[in-house]
Amino acid sequence: MRSVDVARTALGNTFRSKLRTALTVVAIVIGSFTLTLTSGLGAGVNKYVDTVVAGFGGSSQMFVMSTGASDAEPTDGPAEYDPEAAASTGGMFGPGSGGGVLTDSDIEEIEQIENVSSVDPMVFVSPDFIETPDGAQYDMELDVPANALGLELEAGEAPGEDGMELSIPADWLTIFDTEDAEQVIGETVEIGISNVTGEQSTVEAEIVGVSEEALSGIGATPMPSRELNQQLNDLSMEGYEGQAQNAYTMAVVDVENIEANEQGVKDALIDQDLLGLTVEDQIGAVQGVIDAVSWVLSGFGLIALLAASFGIVNTLLMSVQERTREIGLMKALGMSSGKVFGLFSMEAVVIGILGSVIGVVLGLGAGLVGNAWLTGEGGPLGAVAGLTLFAVDPLAIAGITALIVFIAFLAGTLPAARAAKKDPIEALRYE
Amino acid sequence: MSTPVLETENLVKVYGKGATRFDALKGLTFEIHEGESVAIVGKSGSGKSTLMHLLALLDEPTSGVVALGGEPVTALKPKKVSQLRNDTFGFVFQQFFLNPNQTVLENITLPLKIAGMGKSERNRRGMEVLEQLDMADKAKNKATNLSGGQKQRACIARALVNKPTVLFADEPTGNLDTVTSEIVEDILFGLHRDHGITLVVVTHDEDLAAKCQRRLMMQDGEIVTEEHGATGVHA
Ligand SMILES: Nc1ncnc2c1ncn2[C@@H]1O[C@H](COP(=O)(O)OP(=O)(O)OP(=O)(O)O)[C@@H](O)[C@H]1O
Ligand SMILES: [Mg+2]
Repeated sequence: MRSVDVARTALGNTFRSKLRTALTVVAIVIGSFTLTLTSGLGAGVNKYVDTVVAGFGGSSQMFVMSTGASDAEPTDGPAEYDPEAAASTGGMFGPGSGGGVLTDSDIEEIEQIENVSSVDPMVFVSPDFIETPDGAQYDMELDVPANALGLELEAGEAPGEDGMELSIPADWLTIFDTEDAEQVIGETVEIGISNVTGEQSTVEAEIVGVSEEALSGIGATPMPSRELNQQLNDLSMEGYEGQAQNAYTMAVVDVENIEANEQGVKDALIDQDLLGLTVEDQIGAVQGVIDAVSWVLSGFGLIALLAASFGIVNTLLMSVQERTREIGLMKALGMSSGKVFGLFSMEAVVIGILGSVIGVVLGLGAGLVGNAWLTGEGGPLGAVAGLTLFAVDPLAIAGITALIVFIAFLAGTLPAARAAKKDPIEALRYE
Repeated sequence: MSTPVLETENLVKVYGKGATRFDALKGLTFEIHEGESVAIVGKSGSGKSTLMHLLALLDEPTSGVVALGGEPVTALKPKKVSQLRNDTFGFVFQQFFLNPNQTVLENITLPLKIAGMGKSERNRRGMEVLEQLDMADKAKNKATNLSGGQKQRACIARALVNKPTVLFADEPTGNLDTVTSEIVEDILFGLHRDHGITLVVVTHDEDLAAKCQRRLMMQDGEIVTEEHGATGVHA
């Protein structure tokens, strides 16, 4: 029997009992639909995260935080106070930052590390308010300037190194009574901050950019330029009595040839009880979570497929039983056992192809429509700039289809072997 | 005399084991020559079908040899045996075994499809045989919609489509009325006469047996008598 005839016959046989085939196919469709959706979801979100990473550029930077009071031996009762390891609530940036703050001596130590070209200590300031030109005051929190790299801008540019500049999030446009982001560029605002004695003072700053909120959260709060940040910090430290012990939330470290030296610098930092993270480390953690979630969801899809494969086994076993005589006849007329096996496996494969194609098409449709609806203009997630929840990954689609067809084939082997094993005489005697 | 197309030596078939052991064939030795028409007759349960299945290589003997064209087939690989069946034999089974969902043409070209012949060539050969049997107008009909006699003719067409050298027919007239039986008999013996096909017919229909050149009378798994010469009206 020719392969084309095997395929054609298998196709014809599949449609012989339409309802039964349809029900079996539905089970596979559910599995392939789920897999398509979850893999598309993972691909979409990861694609978005990738664009965020790309926004940071091929950064040679490493963010360094203190791992905490690791100098202190674990003790019973309160640990002895160590001014070098001044505890704080920790930085906002990344995991593992819940320890302490960086001191001037930490910064010096970092500067000594090989391949470190520059160290830029960052402080996290918390101003009291922002005042618009018409005199209204609003609560505010400021992001750290190091995050400026991850800013997604709707208008203007990111606040730079010098100059008293800041960017504001797009939803703050309302306080300027406008919807046009371009209009607020160049506006001057006043920022108020209290020093250690509780005395309030203000600085002026110019709005240079309007940001959209990215998945990372960057852009949801105003972002100061480095100079503005430093000024605000200086103001907040005014009136500090005695030896001012500078405390930094973190330090941005430039590493020469980061590809090659990343690990070396990290190891050196660990020796100092410091933690260094590259942009990729941080985003990688996010992607790891996304991957884990999409794998768990895919797991459900696989379970559905597992159930569906028993459906195939069942359907084909019934089919083999019903067609005992037909199988006997084919074998009597000279069809080899191998071809009989091939014919029934092919029927399983046809069912698999049907189910996977329908499921993939439905999954892609649902994913694309859902994505357009959720992240589109006016959708619930429309405000998140550049967000994609679903992406078509041709490789994944091909993989899913191949996987399902393979599972279907495996499921078909048992009934097919049954059919191939049939003795033509007994099959022809079968009533 | 011409070479034996089929020969058996001490053919034994035993079903079951121990208490349920049943000796269906008890050592048969005979020859069937090319172009012969042979009837295997005997009471129900005497082992006729069993013998035919062994001759047609559908089953393996418990002991003994079946040789095709002088070559023992017992040692052949299953795949080779399948191919031999497909190439050299035609079968008319006791029941029709037509696939009800397929057209008559699809049904009768099944052996060619199994042989790996292309579709257009299959259909050409199929139509040729159907014309020969006066069934051409039914080619596109579904097999279920045929009358009993037409079904039997379709089965004969299927048996002939691969131009076999030996045609096996198990009770070809078993479930037909006398008129239709006669038509089918005429077709079979016409083929035998005109195309030189070797005919092996299993039957307990005396009329049909009488038309064959040789009759093997079976009883309890043994050939008890052998008659020569067509006693009936040779078509
Ligand atoms: N698979 C089997 N297992 C056990 N016994 C069997 C089997 N097949 C056939 N037999 C027995 O072998 C004997 C011969 O059977 P066979 O079918 O050859 O008879 P037959 O001569 O063709 O009869 P009929 O004219 O009724 O068709 C019978 O007694 C039958 O019960
Ligand atoms: Mg019989």
